[in-house]
Amino acid sequence: MSTLEDEGKRPTDITSRPLMTVKVIAAPPQKLGAVPYGVRTFVPVAGGDFEGPRLRGKVLPGGGDWLLLRSDGVLELDLRITLETDDHALIYMTFQGLRHGPPDVISAFSRGEVVDPARYYFRTVPKFETSAEAYAFLNRIVTVGVGETRPDGAVHRIDEIL
Amino acid sequence: MMLQVVVSPPQKLGAGPLGTRVIAPITSGTFEGPRLRGKILGGGDWTLSRSDAVLELDLRITLETDDGALISMTSFGLRHGPPEVLAALARGESVDPSTYYFRTAPRFETSAPKYEFLNRLVAIASGNRLPTGPIYTINEIL
Repeated sequence: MSTLEDEGKRPTDITSRPLMTVKVIAAPPQKLGAVPYGVRTFVPVAGGDFEGPRLRGKVLPGGGDWLLLRSDGVLELDLRITLETDDHALIYMTFQGLRHGPPDVISAFSRGEVVDPARYYFRTVPKFETSAEAYAFLNRIVTVGVGETRPDGAVHRIDEIL
Repeated sequence: MMLQVVVSPPQKLGAGPLGTRVIAPITSGTFEGPRLRGKILGGGDWTLSRSDAVLELDLRITLETDDGALISMTSFGLRHGPPEVLAALARGESVDPSTYYFRTAPRFETSAPKYEFLNRLVAIASGNRLPTGPIYTINEIL
């Protein structure tokens, strides 16, 4: 990195702060099987809730996560859900992410067991859309989520990148 | 790693249904980090200026490492700031990157075993728009 820094183009620091924790409750998965890109499973979202310093509310039923198990054993996540804040604003949330870990962890997931999240990698990049003035800041931030797989769904701790 | 992008004159497509589209062809550049270094072969950034004054970035480039591996990199990002800062950037001036928000989420694809770790990570970048093109500081999310 020294060459670029020598030219006076110092790197910009990346810091973050907590945005919210989103708990997603999953409905039974729809297993679509082997498609050209990998093994596709659709997990409908039945509900859930979210809470953070600046927003809280519930996850509306109707969204889902279009999972793709790639040939390299990495699970790609592609979630679309709608959040409703406690003051009735609607927020459209999407994310793409990756989950992978040792074979024994992955098979524990399929048995519905809880695994220490430090034992696997589950990271996402959530994006938001809203027309509500009070939450318009969500339209303008890049965020990162740390995910935990639970027997009934998943929990995502989301940080705003400052 | 740090990634320095050199852009060619932008192609200004004007106002479309989603916002004002400007395509910035990327002709060259370099990248360097503890685990990989090399040059940019080419690509572009399909930027979209939204109605809320946020610039959405949609970058697609090919990297070539110094040992000959090809890596496809895409990134989604957002850039916004005070009007006077954005105006200075538009005039091609160098602006302190701490005065505006310029963050992206790069993703990578490669078939080279040595760089397969890139297929499995989530990354976040902070950008600094220089007159010749942006320079990104890219961090792996652990």
